Amino acid sequence: MLPGIEPLNPLLHLPAQKLTLGCPVLDRLLRGGLPVGSVTEIAGESAAGKTQLCLQLLLAALLPPSSGGLSAASLFIHSEFPFPLRRLRALSSSSSAADPLDHIFVAAAHSPDDLLSLLATADGLLARPPTHLPVRLIVVDSIAALFRSDFDNNPKDLKKRSFLFFKIAAKLKEQARRFGSVVVVTNQVVDVVGFEEGANGQRVGNYTSLWSSGRRVCPALGLSWANCVNTRLFLSRKDEVADDGGSSRTRRWMQVVFAPHLPEASCELVIVREGVCGIEPQSRRTMAGHATSKRLAMASLDVT
Amino acid sequence: MSETSRFRSLEDGHGALKGAQTAWDMLSEEQMQKHITTGCEELDAILGGGIHCKEVTEVGGVPGIGKTQLGIQLAVNVQIPVECGGLGGKAVYIDTEGSFMVERAHQIAEGCISDLLDNTAHRLKDFPACPERLQPNSFLANIFYFRICSYTEQIATINYLEKFLEEQKDVKIIVVDSITFHFRQDFDDLALRTRVLGGMSLKLMRFAKKYSLAVVLLNQVTTKFVEGSFHLTLALGDTWSHACTNRIILYWNGNDRHAYIDKSPSLRSATTPFLITGKGIRNATSHCKRVRMM
Repeated sequence: MLPGIEPLNPLLHLPAQKLTLGCPVLDRLLRGGLPVGSVTEIAGESAAGKTQLCLQLLLAALLPPSSGGLSAASLFIHSEFPFPLRRLRALSSSSSAADPLDHIFVAAAHSPDDLLSLLATADGLLARPPTHLPVRLIVVDSIAALFRSDFDNNPKDLKKRSFLFFKIAAKLKEQARRFGSVVVVTNQVVDVVGFEEGANGQRVGNYTSLWSSGRRVCPALGLSWANCVNTRLFLSRKDEVADDGGSSRTRRWMQVVFAPHLPEASCELVIVREGVCGIEPQSRRTMAGHATSKRLAMASLDVT
Repeated sequence: MSETSRFRSLEDGHGALKGAQTAWDMLSEEQMQKHITTGCEELDAILGGGIHCKEVTEVGGVPGIGKTQLGIQLAVNVQIPVECGGLGGKAVYIDTEGSFMVERAHQIAEGCISDLLDNTAHRLKDFPACPERLQPNSFLANIFYFRICSYTEQIATINYLEKFLEEQKDVKIIVVDSITFHFRQDFDDLALRTRVLGGMSLKLMRFAKKYSLAVVLLNQVTTKFVEGSFHLTLALGDTWSHACTNRIILYWNGNDRHAYIDKSPSLRSATTPFLITGKGIRNATSHCKRVRMM
């Protein structure tokens, strides 16, 4: 059953709403946060902070729009196990919403077909939310894990895999549009060997190369999947040994690889007990801010 | 046959073939052909003035290279008033991927208007009504936006345009962003997919000619495994390649964005750098490489 076709005035009918990342510095990087009606990919290596950021978004969604939230429940589809319930509980204890965990729906997917049938079922959840809050955030963590085992590296399997990318992406985009949702998909990274070699050698986005933990990497699932997301963000990390040779600390960054509404930009961040926080660039810090950033730097615990 | 009698028989044949044109008619019409500026003078130059009305132009490139940016820029630039050398037209924007962001379109409209006010101030002062029209919100209101979520919606929308364009004669550009996204899933019947794409492309070509508008189709790129190695090609290229009069490829050359004319009936292959700025698509700064003729 096709809806009536009618031209829209973009100013009046397109969503401009954004979901806060829970940190004003990161929000500034992204000009407000993650856009509604759009698919944002967060790519990064293991322990880069992808899941942490997703959990933060689940709670941010519950905030009222005046605080950058959506006053909405969320659907979290995970393909990596186990689901980080303990971390979510810890984060939610500082949430201002009553019973935040009541408004977060969690489902597990073990394969691409699992994900597709979950998303089909999710139409019901989105259309008739079980709690009084609409579901307006969908997170898939991660898309890469779903395609790890089933497909070999021959052209026929890659083609089959590619069909599934477009089917999944079309479904997610339709739900983003129909229900005014924010869709977030996390992705892993693979090593890039050599330059201009194979499908992974092709430059995609604002950076000639992406680096994490001293290795040149690129988001998994190739050029095909890259065509399926509207915005690609990259989280990276680097372990640095202090000049005195003693302590080492982990530095982290978020980069905008491509986005229809954002220029190339990046921001350093830390992961603390409260979650993922951006670090104000050096020049903008005030004296008070300096003290805060020192505290953040010292408290930079790797929450795994 | 002498030169004059040859010419006469062409004239005699002209009346009998209703709707036919002589080559002279076509040539003079082509010289009056309207163009839409891309915002980058050097790209306009290698395009022979800009994006041509009455023709279908395909624009391909990797994610993030600037296809949507160019699409939105054209939907804005088509509205440049006639007094300022533009078409004073409206735009249809068919968004199949959800890439169109109002805030970015607003920025691009602002950038276009600000450059118009700077560059054509001398012309504008004779047309006092202009400044009221030159507001970003008016530019946005002149974009007829359609959001497509499936290939059936895409077909239905293009069919809908049949009647729509009859009523909205001001529309001078149709942008489809992107044309192939919904066709890259698995189709049980590949012959159906080819027929559907073929039908769509014929319709769009007809719209271009009948309503003297530009049709711009943004397309994704894919890697094709040919003879043991990967090559970059436009998505669904085989089913599509004949349908477009012109083809532009956007690509990275080191850290610079470039545009390359891949197909054109009248233009030589050429390449030029371009920039994406806060204001939209613009010329690369003068110290960049000059336009290279291939």
